[in-house]
Amino acid sequence: MRARALALSILSSAAVIAVGWQLGTQGQVGTATDASAGTAPAPTGAAGTPAASPPAAASSSGSAPAPTTAPTTAPTTAPSTQAPAATGVSGTFTGASASTRFGDVQVQITVQNGTITDVVALHLTDRDSRSVSISNRAAPMLRQQVLAAQSAKIQGVSGATYTSEGYLSSLQSALDLAGL
Amino acid sequence: MTERTLTAPRAEHRRATDPLDRARRIRGRRRMRAADLMVALCWTSVAAAVSLWLAYGGLGQVTDLASGLTAAGIVTGLVGTDLILVMLVLAARIPVIDRVVGQDTAMAFHRRLGKPALYLILAHGVLLTIGYAMTDGVTVVAETVGLFRGTDMVLAYLALALLVAVVVTSVVAVRRRFSYEAWHLIHLLSYLAVLTAVPHQLSAGGVLAAGSLQRVYWIALYVLAFGSIAVFRFLVPAVRSARHDIRVAGVEAVAPGVVSLHLRGKGLDRLQTHGGQYAIWRFWTGATWWHAHPISFSAVPTATSARITVRDLGSGSAAISRVRPGTRVSIEGPYGVFTDSHRVAPKVAVIAAGIGITPVRSFLEHSALRPGEATVILRGSDPAQTYLWHEIGELRSMRGNAVYTMLGARPRGLATWMSAEALARGVTITTAFPDLLNSDLYVCGPQSWADLVIRDARAAGLPEAQIHVERFDW
Repeated sequence: MRARALALSILSSAAVIAVGWQLGTQGQVGTATDASAGTAPAPTGAAGTPAASPPAAASSSGSAPAPTTAPTTAPTTAPSTQAPAATGVSGTFTGASASTRFGDVQVQITVQNGTITDVVALHLTDRDSRSVSISNRAAPMLRQQVLAAQSAKIQGVSGATYTSEGYLSSLQSALDLAGL
Repeated sequence: MTERTLTAPRAEHRRATDPLDRARRIRGRRRMRAADLMVALCWTSVAAAVSLWLAYGGLGQVTDLASGLTAAGIVTGLVGTDLILVMLVLAARIPVIDRVVGQDTAMAFHRRLGKPALYLILAHGVLLTIGYAMTDGVTVVAETVGLFRGTDMVLAYLALALLVAVVVTSVVAVRRRFSYEAWHLIHLLSYLAVLTAVPHQLSAGGVLAAGSLQRVYWIALYVLAFGSIAVFRFLVPAVRSARHDIRVAGVEAVAPGVVSLHLRGKGLDRLQTHGGQYAIWRFWTGATWWHAHPISFSAVPTATSARITVRDLGSGSAAISRVRPGTRVSIEGPYGVFTDSHRVAPKVAVIAAGIGITPVRSFLEHSALRPGEATVILRGSDPAQTYLWHEIGELRSMRGNAVYTMLGARPRGLATWMSAEALARGVTITTAFPDLLNSDLYVCGPQSWADLVIRDARAAGLPEAQIHVERFDW
């Protein structure tokens, strides 16, 4: 290759890469749920995340360090009776189904006295076998994150962008129903 | 090397004085710029493929070995596919590419990209399968079985299999075992391979997600590659063939195994053939319609007639010598940069061997040569190879220009382009072409022979830009 062609190639390639990189880092800040979850996605819910959670959160999550291999519909009866928040709603609330390109996602939450005690995934991304395995991996993590955060303000799961987005969307509508 | 630096300033000075030479030099520089731009465009498209993934936020998803492997798998897939699309563009015979670097150079690049592209695509499959398997905590075999469950993925595996078949049959050693036609038929599967890979690119993974700019760019690349193939390899040739209504007017045996085909048609001058170019011809008879042949023009076409000359190199070209007058002929082309418009130096040195005489003849016919501008050497190993030689001296452009002939076999065991007799006399490329470094060298003949001429010319210090070669090995 001639020197000028080489120089030109390197220059324009570098420019294109830089633009892509820039767009990528911007996107991380702005939107993508999991892109920002750069750090260990694995056992987040357990002990971390102290800051913005309501008082009840610490204890409820502390007692449920369930190994993440559990299937989505694990009946983990949550440790409920902690610090009753005076006058809270109770009951189960089913979120709206959120459709993603890998399938629909729908969750149901159980609330006791204004505290989310359980999240059950009624439907998860399942368009192909790859989606199913991603869902199986992501659901327990998402559930733990929600129980810890007591809101839809969670990191999401790395490598499960669409599942996380659908999950949060359906969760938010369930929270709205519950008035939380 | 030293000789080159010594002579360069003098040549430069002489060139600068003549307006024609100046124009040639400017044209040459412009062409070089365009060529460099094309090369840069190729590599930038590779960078763009990586950039698609970066813009998607791919870097942020790399957190451990499994996600690292998955990311590497995605990037190799993007880059590999981009290279395949670049290969399609190079093979599409886009006029500007042919004008600037020549279709044969483009195809040489196309061939060099084949194996890297295949390796990247194979790595794409392997890395993603391992990455997924690690993430899911299952074995690679189980993951592979799992991947086979989606239609898009089954198509993707089919594409991979086709791609392997296409590349393996194109590896030189394997390609020799197939006839050209069989190989070409298999090679056409590459279109299918590239297309069957599309569904999984758009449905699996997030980089090319619906609504993303990445998806738009990617689809545009596909449209560009397949669009140029459709237009320049199919539509333009079909229209041209229909418009010019080319027929065989007569078949003339000029030497054992060598025939000139006289063609007639409408407005053949509108093809704007430059002397030295070739076209890819298809003769519509029962025995020959299924294969097309690149054959050089041995004379510049007039409005109503053209002449091509062919030696039977394969069973296919032997059948061509038996076509009857009136046979319909379709044309793809003309193509090639073995032309006057690619000259950069004030003088021209021309050497042809065997059937290589054909483009050389039309090249000289089409060149406006001043007396003393050209030196021509015609090379043949025996008197049977002297066909068309007599026509060279009769060309109007050759008045006042020297034509030498060199007849006789090459000496055994020596790598030389000369006859044994010439070698014994002490002939070298610089005694044969005294003004070589101030000339464009045009070489046409069998590849191994042409390579030796070029080797000597390079050793004498001739710059690459002044070497023009047309090969007859495909």
